[in-house]
Amino acid sequence: MRDWQRYVRENLGSLRVNSAEFEEVAQELAAHLEETYERLRLSGLPEGQADLQTRAQAGNWKELNTQLNSARQEGTMNGRVKRIWIPSLLTLLTCWTILALLIWAGAQPLIWNRAEPRSAILYLPWLLLLPLIGAMGGYLSRREDGAGYQVYVAGTFPALAIAAILAVTFPFAFFVDPRIAPDFKLDSLLAMVLSWVILPGIALCAGVAFVNRYKPALPVKAGTT
Amino acid sequence: MIRTELKRGTAELAVLSVLEDGPLHGYEIGRRIEEQSGGALRYSLAALYPLLYRMERRGWLRGEWQIGANGKRRRCYRLLSRGQKMLKPMRAEWADLFRALRRVAKVTHA
Repeated sequence: MRDWQRYVRENLGSLRVNSAEFEEVAQELAAHLEETYERLRLSGLPEGQADLQTRAQAGNWKELNTQLNSARQEGTMNGRVKRIWIPSLLTLLTCWTILALLIWAGAQPLIWNRAEPRSAILYLPWLLLLPLIGAMGGYLSRREDGAGYQVYVAGTFPALAIAAILAVTFPFAFFVDPRIAPDFKLDSLLAMVLSWVILPGIALCAGVAFVNRYKPALPVKAGTT
Repeated sequence: MIRTELKRGTAELAVLSVLEDGPLHGYEIGRRIEEQSGGALRYSLAALYPLLYRMERRGWLRGEWQIGANGKRRRCYRLLSRGQKMLKPMRAEWADLFRALRRVAKVTHA
């Protein structure tokens, strides 16, 4: 039998997608051709005939390439905006608005080590509310049929955003312009990561995981493979 | 046999309709459509897969890799609520088209 994976890769040419996506498309098309070939053989066709008919069913590869490129690009922005960016920004906004309101209302933080000015700071009521906010972000993404990672990104976006800010500012402050943080210490970075990334991230994740518990199962009907 | 140009417009409705009964992988979608149309609607890879990816982008379907009973990896497509919602207006649109054709070109359907 022909190596259909190789046949597809040789004919697919250059899709404007990353290598992982290319692999997925190639595997899917190869699986289709392999199944077509096997069914033709089962129906009694000799190898040569089955091979010829399978290749004929693939159709025009140039057209397939063009169509795949156009299909893979359609609506990319639209889908991502609805499934990731809008829920993420709403989660972020809600998260920081609630924190601001709590501080305005006089909520006192728990400070790990009061002697150390850059110790870990925990706003307990805020942390307790974060699973709800994470669940909201996850729900908004899932409602738009967001995939697993999109739901988690949307639900944990506030923690991810802080992680990204720290990842950019600390190396900059340390290596490029030490005047930004002249008394920079590694433990202050760890305290900030713990206070604003890890603990909030865990709390938000808990909310998303709760939403994901209600993900509808995907039943596979008998005879679909 | 129906010409490719005519078939092109039917593919969305055909795919959504066969997925209404449950998730299927690409090959099985093509086979079901062919079977249920009595062989009249047969889509090549170039017609079927770009359409599936397009519908997935629009949030009508979701494709997920699964291991089948034979141990092979297959990408199964499941109809999402947005795709389900598209079916009714699409069916109504096609019914309108057939009615119009019947009046204009004396086309009848079985």
